[in-house]
Amino acid sequence: MRLKIVIVLLVLLLSATVSTANPGGKGDDVRSRDCAGSCHASSSSNGISTATLDINFPNDVYAGLLIEVQTSVGNVDVSSNNMVGMALLINSDGAKDLPANGGWEIVTDPNGGTNNYVEITDSFSSQNIVNRSWTLRSPSNPGTYELYLAVQHGTPEGGVAMSGISQAKSVTVEEVPENLPRLSEDWTPTNLREIGVETIITIDTVNVDSATVELMNGAEIITIPVVDNEFTIPAAVNPGTVQWRLIMEGEGPTQYSPWFRLTAQEPGWEVDETALYLQGVALFLLCAGLVVLMRTEEEDYLKDYDNTSHLNESTQSAEEYSNPQQVVEEQIATTPEVQQTPPLPATGLPEGWTMEQWAYYGQEHLDNLAKEGVQ
Amino acid sequence: MISAGTLHVISTELTIGMFALSGVAFLLCLLKKGPDSREAVAHWALLGGIIATPIAIISGVNASPGDGIDNPILANKLLLSMASAGLAIGILLRRFMGGKVDSRHAGIGMTAVGLMLVTAGMGGEFSRGETLLLFVPKETVMIFPIWASVILILLGLVILGKSAVEHRS
Repeated sequence: MRLKIVIVLLVLLLSATVSTANPGGKGDDVRSRDCAGSCHASSSSNGISTATLDINFPNDVYAGLLIEVQTSVGNVDVSSNNMVGMALLINSDGAKDLPANGGWEIVTDPNGGTNNYVEITDSFSSQNIVNRSWTLRSPSNPGTYELYLAVQHGTPEGGVAMSGISQAKSVTVEEVPENLPRLSEDWTPTNLREIGVETIITIDTVNVDSATVELMNGAEIITIPVVDNEFTIPAAVNPGTVQWRLIMEGEGPTQYSPWFRLTAQEPGWEVDETALYLQGVALFLLCAGLVVLMRTEEEDYLKDYDNTSHLNESTQSAEEYSNPQQVVEEQIATTPEVQQTPPLPATGLPEGWTMEQWAYYGQEHLDNLAKEGVQ
Repeated sequence: MISAGTLHVISTELTIGMFALSGVAFLLCLLKKGPDSREAVAHWALLGGIIATPIAIISGVNASPGDGIDNPILANKLLLSMASAGLAIGILLRRFMGGKVDSRHAGIGMTAVGLMLVTAGMGGEFSRGETLLLFVPKETVMIFPIWASVILILLGLVILGKSAVEHRS
């Protein structure tokens, strides 16, 4: 028996395959660059990515205002699911490296969320460069800042988790000019909406006399007027992303906001959570109750084959009537038919008959005798 | 400060480890093999798993992206883990009331463990997109109407109350 168990365990161990830690990705999130070292236990299962990584900033970056940052990943062959995890970081140390630690805010990530780590599925290859846009709010204090682009991905052969990080990309954040038309520092764009619902966006601007919106849908650009700081983006028919930007005019030079992305999604799966929680409690109580109520196998056996109650009744009868003859006589005495027992003929009880038989069949016998006498 | 995701990992590993140990011990009880301590191990490990289960459920719901339960896998995980916890509590109560560890008792203990392991397997699919439970309909959720759940809750309470009264008498 022990030998069989050992063999089964050995077969199970030997059937395990070497695989990367999270081949399906971990999902978008706010993440430090920790996975490259801590997720993969052995250095033999890690590798250094050959990807060419780059970050492009706009020409003018003002403190506390929104900017659009372009990241590019090229010259890399990845696993069959064509997925690469990208992270914007402020250092390459693997600790305190979130953009928020440097005063940056991720307003819109390439997937429409607000995370510094996103998983992108695209046509990554050694002949292709994949670009993505991020909308960031720059730090509120002027100065020189650095950003890094880190990537994690698999390999076409599998089995090795690759990671890489770009060189530091510096950007100078300047103080905002006094009369610069701009979006308010407190304003944040809407990133998501549902299909079939038109979206009314309210803007908050500073030093702006008039504003218009350019809406890019595919290759087409539509101009939408802004009335009372509000404009409407038409409803989406299918899931997808439209981009829009604000053109702000005032005393200072005309300003263009970054392209903001508005992603239309199908309504998510919904459930009545009250009903779900109640059902959970019901299952809990019912399962517990049924198990507690369950009899043991021994009790079941006794219940099925136990005839003690019948035995008790018989014992009681036997005790009450110790003399069987007495029982018969009493039964005869209490039976209506017995009370009408026909009288015995003069010749006495027919040969071989008992009194009990006479009680039941005696009248019939007398009737037969009478018929024979008549004939 | 520990995030809900980290707490979920800790509590899940605690729960699954305890339940797995309990499952092996219940298997030995079923086979009537192994050391005499198998019954004690099975029930104490099950108790440990049950203590960690609520923490795993609550931290799991909080750690999931989005608001609340917005995925059918999450809903199925909740229902399966509650059913498993119910069976496990029932097994412990039955043992506490003097029930014998026969093959039926061990079988239900293993069922509770199996349900909890299926729950964990579905969590793997939810977070990493990988699963060994290929043929389990994880995307289908059967939700009772509220009145049906209320009736079942009352029924469960009556059964538990009846069992407690019988145990006292």
